[in-house]
Amino acid sequence: MHIADGYLPATHAALWYAASAPFVVHGARAVVLQVREHPENRLLLAAAGAFTFVLSAIKLPSYTGSSSHPTGTGLGAVLFRPPVMAFLSTVVLVFQALLLAHGGITTLGANVFAMGVVGPWVGFACWRALRRVSASLALFTAMALADLATYCVTSVQLALAHPDAAGGFAAALAKFLGIFALTQVPLALAEGLLGLLLFRVLSDVAAPELRRLGVLPHRAGGSTDAGSTTDAAFTTDTDSADPRGAAR
Amino acid sequence: MSAGFALDDAAWASRWRHRRVADKAVLSFGLLACAVALPPWPGAAATGVAALAVLLLGARVRARTLALALAVPAAFIATGAVPLLLTLTWESGPHVGISPETVGAAASVVVRALAATTAVFVLASTTPMVDVLAALRRARVPDACVEVAGLTYRFVFLLLESAATIREAQAARLGYTDRRRALRSSAQLVGAVLLRSWDRARRLEEGLAGRGDTTTLRTFDPPATSSPRFVAASLGLVALVVVLGLAGPALASALAGVAS
Repeated sequence: MHIADGYLPATHAALWYAASAPFVVHGARAVVLQVREHPENRLLLAAAGAFTFVLSAIKLPSYTGSSSHPTGTGLGAVLFRPPVMAFLSTVVLVFQALLLAHGGITTLGANVFAMGVVGPWVGFACWRALRRVSASLALFTAMALADLATYCVTSVQLALAHPDAAGGFAAALAKFLGIFALTQVPLALAEGLLGLLLFRVLSDVAAPELRRLGVLPHRAGGSTDAGSTTDAAFTTDTDSADPRGAAR
Repeated sequence: MSAGFALDDAAWASRWRHRRVADKAVLSFGLLACAVALPPWPGAAATGVAALAVLLLGARVRARTLALALAVPAAFIATGAVPLLLTLTWESGPHVGISPETVGAAASVVVRALAATTAVFVLASTTPMVDVLAALRRARVPDACVEVAGLTYRFVFLLLESAATIREAQAARLGYTDRRRALRSSAQLVGAVLLRSWDRARRLEEGLAGRGDTTTLRTFDPPATSSPRFVAASLGLVALVVVLGLAGPALASALAGVAS
């Protein structure tokens, strides 16, 4: 859920714009450098942006009986790195605001900070910290915690804007977190499980693409059976063929 | 017309399509600023009424289109107001309550949010995304960024169509009959869409490379006419809303005093 126009006072909206701007500018600079060095990557980046948008249109079954959509920020951060995700999330959020009236223009800074900055960085940190232990666990944690982090930041933003009349900021935060927790914890777990299953699917049918993105390590011995990719394979760092090099 | 892209459909068919984007932005963002910055009552309410009048009478957006486009954000706005209605205190346990102040605060946010959303519609329902991107290019946003955004916009529709087709096929094969199957089908759907997006990108790149195109993907900008009268009328409307929003309560009490 993105914050709609009108939910944040003008000063808060301006401050969140200021907080997001360095990350978005850094991401845009990374995109400009990539396109300059590898013009063919503009299409890959555009496909990544469209994929992030389409993810929000895919309904996911929730354990509370309802359904919602994945945020996709964890997956995007693992595949395309957080700086690029800051820029792509901004594009996606502008599209959602103008095409679907979801989110807003004055609240764009706040939404970018939650979905394009904190979510991807939390997801990426989980991936980097856990992938040597287990790639499956790392992807599950990255997707689930990136989703949760996005909604926690949104709760903080709303609590700062609308402190509780009796209990102040803390009570407001408890209210917003409580309401989000009911719906979002099951959804975050579902998104984590989705990541596990997605990883198996992609390892089976798209190992070369995952290697090119640096998600799977390159093997010195040439082609490897993608289906036999195991957690133990995730022990080397990404390589120089990673098309996102400029974004790091 | 589907609710999904009602605004985009309206924008492509808008009678204001060929007005300059900057002119329409003055009107839309001027009203948006009023909705966010003025007191909710009567400022935001007046903004909402003004934006609706502009959409229905000026841009001639169909009421059904507006209703379709507003339905989902209105539901989100209403749901989001629920926490504002409640107060939470801790006296030997959590106590949740509702007070007249919280009702007033929630109502203010709902009015403000609806007005702001309607103000954004003024731009969204009259300006296709390609026009917005062309305007950003003219405003010296880096070509690479505008290009990635433009290609993203084009890919979105292709991928949404792919996702809908795949999901329909999965549903026909009982892929969503229980939660376990639904989750597995969702993962396969996401994977298939991701692969298809890469494949589309690769094929498009190969097609462009085959034509010797390695530079920017420039296209002709749609013709747009600037109208000083339109800008002046927009600023006049925004000024009127500001006056109503700031002086409205004083004027109302003065009128009440005269009447009594």
